[in-house]
Amino acid sequence: MDKLIQFGRSLLQPLLAVIVALAAGAIAIAIVGGSVTETYAEMWKGAFGSFYFFTNTLSRATPIILIGLGVALAFRAGFFNMGSEGQMVLGALSAAVTAIYLPGSGMVKLIAAIIAGVIAGGIWSAFAGWLDARFRMNLLITTLLLNYIATLFAGYMVSYPLKDRTGSAAMAQTVMLDPSVWLPKLFKGMSLHAGFILAAAGAILLFLFMRYTVKGYEIRMLGGNPLFASYGGVQRGKMMLISMFVSGGFAGLAGSVEVLGTQYRYLDGALTTPGYAWSGIMATLLAGSHPLGTAVAAILIAALQTGGMGMERNTDVPLEVSSIIQAVLILFVSAKFTYSFIKRRKARS
Amino acid sequence: MLLQMDSITKSYGSVTANSNVQFSLKRGEIHALVGENGAGKTTLMRILYGMESPSSGEILLDGKSVSFASPADAIKHKIGMVHQHFMLFPTFTIAENIVIGREPAKAVGFDRKAAAAETARIGKQYGMPVDPWKKVADCSLGMQQRVEILKVLYQGAEVIILDEPTGVLTPLEVKELLVAIKGLAAQGKSFILISHKLQEIMEVADRVTVLRDGKVTGTVDAKDTNAEQLSRLMVGRDLIHISRNETSRGKQVLEVADVSINGSKTKPILKNLSLHVDEGEIVGIAGISGNGQSELIQAIAGLMKPDSGQIKLLGQDVTGAPVGAIRERGLAHIPEDRYQWGVAKDATVTENGLMGHADRHQKFGILDGAGIRGMVSEWVSRFGIKTGSLSTKAQYLSGGNLQKLIVARELAQQTPFLIAAEPTRGVDVGAMEIIHGELLKKRDEKGAILLVSSELTEILKLSDRILVMYEGRIVGELDAETATEEQISLLMAGGTAVG
Amino acid sequence: MDFLLDATLYASTLRMVTPILLAALGGALCARVGLFNVGLEGLVLIGAFSAIVGNHFTGNVFAAVLFAVLCSLLFSIIFGYMSIQLKANVIVVGIALNFLALGLTTFSLRAIFDVKGAYYNKDMVGLPKWDIPLLKDIPWLGDVLSGHSPLVYLSIVLVIALQFFLFKTVSGFRLLASGENPTAARSLGIKVSRIQYGAVLMCGMLCGLAGAQLSLGNVTMFTEGMTSGRGFIALVATMLGQSNPIGVMASSMLFGFMDALSIRLQGFALPTHFTMMLPYIVTIFAMLFFKDKGYMQEARKSNESSR
Repeated sequence: MDKLIQFGRSLLQPLLAVIVALAAGAIAIAIVGGSVTETYAEMWKGAFGSFYFFTNTLSRATPIILIGLGVALAFRAGFFNMGSEGQMVLGALSAAVTAIYLPGSGMVKLIAAIIAGVIAGGIWSAFAGWLDARFRMNLLITTLLLNYIATLFAGYMVSYPLKDRTGSAAMAQTVMLDPSVWLPKLFKGMSLHAGFILAAAGAILLFLFMRYTVKGYEIRMLGGNPLFASYGGVQRGKMMLISMFVSGGFAGLAGSVEVLGTQYRYLDGALTTPGYAWSGIMATLLAGSHPLGTAVAAILIAALQTGGMGMERNTDVPLEVSSIIQAVLILFVSAKFTYSFIKRRKARS
Repeated sequence: MLLQMDSITKSYGSVTANSNVQFSLKRGEIHALVGENGAGKTTLMRILYGMESPSSGEILLDGKSVSFASPADAIKHKIGMVHQHFMLFPTFTIAENIVIGREPAKAVGFDRKAAAAETARIGKQYGMPVDPWKKVADCSLGMQQRVEILKVLYQGAEVIILDEPTGVLTPLEVKELLVAIKGLAAQGKSFILISHKLQEIMEVADRVTVLRDGKVTGTVDAKDTNAEQLSRLMVGRDLIHISRNETSRGKQVLEVADVSINGSKTKPILKNLSLHVDEGEIVGIAGISGNGQSELIQAIAGLMKPDSGQIKLLGQDVTGAPVGAIRERGLAHIPEDRYQWGVAKDATVTENGLMGHADRHQKFGILDGAGIRGMVSEWVSRFGIKTGSLSTKAQYLSGGNLQKLIVARELAQQTPFLIAAEPTRGVDVGAMEIIHGELLKKRDEKGAILLVSSELTEILKLSDRILVMYEGRIVGELDAETATEEQISLLMAGGTAVG
Repeated sequence: MDFLLDATLYASTLRMVTPILLAALGGALCARVGLFNVGLEGLVLIGAFSAIVGNHFTGNVFAAVLFAVLCSLLFSIIFGYMSIQLKANVIVVGIALNFLALGLTTFSLRAIFDVKGAYYNKDMVGLPKWDIPLLKDIPWLGDVLSGHSPLVYLSIVLVIALQFFLFKTVSGFRLLASGENPTAARSLGIKVSRIQYGAVLMCGMLCGLAGAQLSLGNVTMFTEGMTSGRGFIALVATMLGQSNPIGVMASSMLFGFMDALSIRLQGFALPTHFTMMLPYIVTIFAMLFFKDKGYMQEARKSNESSR
């Protein structure tokens, strides 16, 4: 019974946040003069209205889930990894380069490209971890700054040395990947690709890893109280490198599957403009770094975004309403709003 | 009567911290308040100082009923408090620490010169001279204590609450403090002295009030009582004397040779320190806290790398080795500060119990959940750990129960060597007896234990040999059979061994 | 390397440094009361956007600046309420606020101006340029120091004012005390949360000014996410300057110079990607010289025995 109440309480908070966020969205809709119910109906349709829209939402959720998982792992270990964007971009670029230039059959190239993406993202992330472990440089700030460096670097690469000069369009992008290395689509004519399977499997594996393995336990304790962990024999520096590598590896994987499954090339800005990395971080915050929760939250956020697009197509309400709903959602979850509220009520009685 | 606390009751939910407590204070009196940990002394004083409000009862000051909503209110009514953990600002100067809250101002600015002059003046007036421009961080603990008292006097306090004021002082500093208190009382200031050191109380107090389980069990004139009577009132029964079995000492388990830690300040933290612990003995390290004990423990446990010297465990050099390797070799460690080192507050009882045991409860890196829960629940019943369930978060356990969990966890490592640092700090008498019994049992089973404690009684009760630490060195070794509290106190204060 | 002596480089440094400096001063105030404000980025963004909005509706630049200050102030109240009142994790609140700022500004950009990405109106008037009499006639130096927006000069005045406030006044002393040992300060009857609120609100106002300089001083337009990490650079400036106003100014100058340099270098053979990286790389290098408090200390603080 106690467990049930506890479970209920843990649900209450996100639920309340969703209600408040939708209310904030309603105000925004009202301000621009839209009908609240109609707009939300359009939004729902845009996200889940048909099988096509639903798979579209899942395909948008794919990189968000993967990034969210990586961030969740880092957060659990107590590291504020804000560098997913850079890690994703470098992962994507490496995957693209590998898929283009590596000789071999399509399958070999595909696997090699994914691995290259994971490693590139992981190393970029572990670099920030190393800076913290070795020089005590604030990880939150370095990861943020490294984002700019990574995206600018990738932008340079596709603007000059790797630029696609075959087409007439002067876009900063690599050449198109050979169809043999494309990740297969899950349903014919839909955008959903095999990357989603990877993301779903990743969520489950990370959940099991955190919960049932020795290393997962050590990571959780490190996040809970680093002194306690080091007292018990957990080596923080080593753990930091490993967990940052894996964290960045997830982001790199996100970039890779996006390139191999959706874009089929590295196009400058194609990953940063939709804000996948930040959506992933949001998903993690929403779920309190729980792996399965992060996956669910990622789908929710993706739904808000695809729903927002549907809404924009069919009403006069701008897409940006979604970003308001997302932001308010985060704000309220992060503030442990209900938690404090309950506490204060108890104190008074 | 200057101050009267009438029928004070304070309860938190189902827990009653104070029940119908009567307490009074005369002008110029030193009134001691004694009791075990958790008897309700601190709660009572927090009520008087406006940090808590009583559930019922009233406070009378000069016969008038008053109620304090905050410490600021209490200060306004000339009540001051010196907290057990000093409430000082280390990077500020002494003068700044004393005048804060009532700073002398010149135009829009804070007049630091006037503050220094005023500080020097009251220091002189009350016979406690200080250097106003010195940074508090550079002061000895005795000096910091003095700053605390001067601060309260500067605020104009007539009633001064001292919460365990001598815990961190050297015997010499204690003497000075007691003299100062008596002098101030003679000038008409009144003191409430919270302490569990009965000798000090007998020396300085006029009256003594004893609390047990939130109730007053007696208020007596100090001259009509003695330490035995007070401890009976405190505990409610005579203390059980644990008898220690004779054991034979075996081979050397821990050897610390010539270890130094330089630290960042000019004075080294540890200076060429050597010691050894053998099978079947408890070596007690006595000393005022802050004389290098923490660093010594951390160096042995692998949490800090010594600058020179060698640490050997079972004959193997473990100097600067990772914690995991040292634990593997045979170390268990009851940490000094349980919240800082000993637990993760947000993790469950089971998770906290698992630390250091994970390797024994896994297969291919996967944890054996049932086995782990079985192990922890066995400890819970054996040590009588009061917890809602095994998945209760550690932060909801009381200090004593948490400590029992940590002790159980570390004893269950069944290592040849154990560090027990302040193993009973802040736990109640019952828990203390259990923990002491377990430590002695481990010793009887040929375990080697390094006990570090700031409680002399604990050191005397458990140790076979006693080492005294002062300023990073071992300044004396005594046989527990013959050692006396006086001898140890003298060594702790930096005196040389006599006999 | 002639351009290194060019007065316009230093003049533009002064211009570029102002938003960073103002935000960093705000960050320093928050840091001094024990709040690590990661939300600077969002606060500045709100300021930048609302300055444009204010300008659009009132047509008066100073009313616009005032409006920017007001909006950032309101926004900082959220930060204060969440982190001081509700005791939520400061870093998480800061990150969340950055999201909220980005969301609100992009939404409002669309809702108010009906544009996506950027808003520019050639009729819009930016902050005036003040020519300082006498100073402007000094060769070179006059070109560097004269002819800036009032906010540039205000930021310098604020540095001195804050330095005086923190280290010479009673209120400043109490603010420092609240950050140094909040428990002790509270036990003396100092209203710590009120002081924290004061610092956070002050920070909000400073960030509002920073935003106004960004969108009305350096350029006269608003683009989505136009702060592009300046809030975080300001945070580094805060840390490097040890939260001392003068120190913060010195470290901000370094970053402002890099900003100006990076724009300057675009005219040369280097690809713009690398010149744009410059401020971020220099910031990371600068962090080498500032040791973070370290996880040990932080963990110790958050796991203190007194619960």
